[in-house]
Amino acid sequence: MTLPPLNCAEAVAQLQDYLKGEITPELAERVREHLAVCRGCLQHAEFERNFLQVLETRLRVTTVPSGLRERILSALDTRPR
Amino acid sequence: MNGPADRHATFELEALPHLGSMYRVALRLTGEPAAAEDLVQDAMLKAFRAWDRFRPGSNARAWLLTILRNEFINGYRREKRGPVLVELDAAPYAIYGAVAGNDPEGRFFDSIVDERVQQALLDLPAEFREVVVLSDVEGLPYAEISEIAGIPVGTVKSRLFRGRRLLQTALYEHAVEMGYIKPRNRT
Repeated sequence: MTLPPLNCAEAVAQLQDYLKGEITPELAERVREHLAVCRGCLQHAEFERNFLQVLETRLRVTTVPSGLRERILSALDTRPR
Repeated sequence: MNGPADRHATFELEALPHLGSMYRVALRLTGEPAAAEDLVQDAMLKAFRAWDRFRPGSNARAWLLTILRNEFINGYRREKRGPVLVELDAAPYAIYGAVAGNDPEGRFFDSIVDERVQQALLDLPAEFREVVVLSDVEGLPYAEISEIAGIPVGTVKSRLFRGRRLLQTALYEHAVEMGYIKPRNRT
């Protein structure tokens, strides 16, 4: 059973979930097939990927404040009310 | 039956390794380091008191983030910082059509300073902010976000779609204001 190719609107609707790896392999394959033949949607995919990378790289904190772990550990020792 | 020493030891072994994840999520939800530390500490203490209810072998990170998320949402409601839910018909416009002509790859995003990106995230209504933080900042799968926020995966997807679109719109409008990108040609 061969499914019909996706049109632009259908492909664009899946782009973010496709880039996040959150669609089924079958649907991902259909999105990929569309991007391979549609320059406009490929550019749109690059735009969405760049946007998702901005969120990932600019908003990710790498360090936990020193002392937080110790504060929590010592709070665990005091009995709750 | 677990004695107090066992409880303490297993909590330290299974829950504390997720401290980094909890702090990152807390900081992006609250926007303030001090508030984030308080939120993490409150959530950890609550988790410790409920530790007997944690099923060994299940996803400790999701369990802990659920507690943290609920603490945040409850505090948010208590302080009456606006509605958690927003009108769904206030649809933001898609900006890709506006930039495709002169910046199809969205290079203008790179000109925006980190603080402005952080502020745009904080300006999102809480129900959109939480899914964007869990998915796009912390990198959790949709299924885990569904568990944490207590909503179906389909709702996770639709909130992410709207939250990301609101962010794109805010960042685009900022970039136009700052002159990083030309506004859409209206002719």
